[in-house]
Amino acid sequence: MKRDEAIGATLILLFGAVTVYFSLRMSIGTFRAAGSGLFPLGLGILLMGLSIAFFVKAGVRGLPIGKKKPPSEVPRSTQQVILFMGAILLATLLLKELGYPLVSFLLLLALLRILGERRWVYTLSLSFLTATGTYVLFVLWLQIPLPKGWIGL
Amino acid sequence: MFESLQHLVTGFGIALTVDNLFYCLIGAVIGTLIGVLPGIGPIAGIALLIPATYHLSATSAIIMLAGIYYGAMYGGSTTSILLNVPGETASVITCIEGYQMAQKGRAGPALATCAIGSFIAGSIAILGLVFLAPPLAEAALAFGPPEYFSLMVFGFIVLCNVTGTSLIKSLMMAVVGLIIGTIGLDPVTGVARFTFGSMSLLSGMEFVAVAIGLFGIGEVLANVEKPLAFLEGKVLVPRLRELYPTLQDFKKSIGPILRGTGIGFGVGLVPGPAPVIATYSSYMVERKISKNPEAFGKGAIEGVAGPESANNSACQSAFIPLFVLGIPFAPPTAILLGALLIHGVSPGPLMIGQHPSLFWGVIASMYIGNFILLILNLPFVPLFANILRIPKKVLLPLVILFCITGMYTVNNSVFDIWMMLLFGGIGFLMRKLDYEGAPLLLALVLGPKLEVAFRQSLMISHGDFGIFVNRPISMGFLLATLLFLLFPVFRIILKSTGKGGGFRGSMGGNKG
Repeated sequence: MKRDEAIGATLILLFGAVTVYFSLRMSIGTFRAAGSGLFPLGLGILLMGLSIAFFVKAGVRGLPIGKKKPPSEVPRSTQQVILFMGAILLATLLLKELGYPLVSFLLLLALLRILGERRWVYTLSLSFLTATGTYVLFVLWLQIPLPKGWIGL
Repeated sequence: MFESLQHLVTGFGIALTVDNLFYCLIGAVIGTLIGVLPGIGPIAGIALLIPATYHLSATSAIIMLAGIYYGAMYGGSTTSILLNVPGETASVITCIEGYQMAQKGRAGPALATCAIGSFIAGSIAILGLVFLAPPLAEAALAFGPPEYFSLMVFGFIVLCNVTGTSLIKSLMMAVVGLIIGTIGLDPVTGVARFTFGSMSLLSGMEFVAVAIGLFGIGEVLANVEKPLAFLEGKVLVPRLRELYPTLQDFKKSIGPILRGTGIGFGVGLVPGPAPVIATYSSYMVERKISKNPEAFGKGAIEGVAGPESANNSACQSAFIPLFVLGIPFAPPTAILLGALLIHGVSPGPLMIGQHPSLFWGVIASMYIGNFILLILNLPFVPLFANILRIPKKVLLPLVILFCITGMYTVNNSVFDIWMMLLFGGIGFLMRKLDYEGAPLLLALVLGPKLEVAFRQSLMISHGDFGIFVNRPISMGFLLATLLFLLFPVFRIILKSTGKGGGFRGSMGGNKG
């Protein structure tokens, strides 16, 4: 079994176990008058059973379960994904404080730079125009109350 | 039948109001754009635009969202033919013959055949919808909780069997979706479950957050992981020398279009990713019955006309189980179910009687939408294709910004954005580990219905599970479920006896 496959199945097994644990803390009731925990308990047990079946099947075969993907021709850039996601998380964290117009501008600027756009004038103007455009569309036209933040827009 | 036609005429009256025409046009245009752009499928597209429909009436909202769904099917063929890049999964088959035609300078006729075929198929399928939905709704009135439970179980098993590469993995995803669906207030007792004290989770997991996360953010992150050259790459759109098909092209296409319509309509009625299965089945049928099978793979117009018609026909007939039973059989219709519920409409056998203006208005709008798409797709193909010139490194940040903005507008809540990002991360990991998002999303939407049906059935039977097998309709669905579960075993036996691999085998799948 491939390492990735094992990690995936283990995470799902754990998710099933956590579901069972918290379901048991609810009322289970009877089949005639089921409590709120009965259905998720059954699902948790079923999920654990499926993950164990997955392990057994993969172990018996000694091969990854599922279609073999052709080897990727391109090198993966996990660092780029972490930076990209990090910028989005930071923007979400600051959304209430800085407000939508500023955050959308800064987020676009950061994401464009992370994805390799090196021309400052281009990234600054594209970010500014897009942030202004979405502000006009969502806030001014559609009247959606997006966070104003300290700039008050 | 006459009554249905009368209702349809009323529906046209509703769909042809200025407002509804406008939203139909908007839906068709946005859908085409979503179909053209690789990476943003109809699921994320519809989910992203649900918040924009909040101030609309339920009819206008569903007209627009349905337009996005079938518009994406039209748009998806453009990139398949011009660039060999399917805009969405249902267009994969169109790449085979469509791109070959484009290489021979016949991109125009291929695109036109797609548009005409899709229009004919869509129009015929709508007639099927008009005449089949009302009697099916009457029949569905006989369904009680056990029948609904068994039908939903059947739907899950079939969907899991035909999506992804491993049945166990798809089943695991469906169960994960069902568990996530239990978050919030217990639908029977009203007790909070898995909320961990959060008020935001009391109303359950926001399905729009899950849909945009899994299918929007997850896809963007998967693209971000690709190398710089991919992100900077601009697409070279070939020039269209000729646009319209010849009479001979039309003669060759009409048979495949009609056959594709029939196949697509049938496939759309059963659970699973209908457009994908319909296009594949249609292509295989056309190749099998062709007098020149050797022409396939080298730009046979029949291989474009059939699958594209099947694709659109399946899209339209997929609305039948959604409207008539209230049970979506595929993720895009699951999203539409969510949108209907948000607008206070509960689809099911009573929907046609309770919301006739919505039902008949949406059906009539589909016909108008198909006509709009026919007009859009022929002369404006070069315009849509030019959108592909936007480099990915510019497009991806824009998609993220729209996801965040769209998500916030659902409940004006930053919590929802966090949930969307969480599911975005999960969606990215699922792509890496080869897990399918479709069963999870469908299970999330149907989970509460499934649980209520299950518990009500056991209440009726005083805890006796025999209720699921003692009632003939329920028994029928469970037997069909069992057959689908045993299908991989049958295939292995057939393979070992050297009698062929069946459908999944031909698809290259290796169900575990």
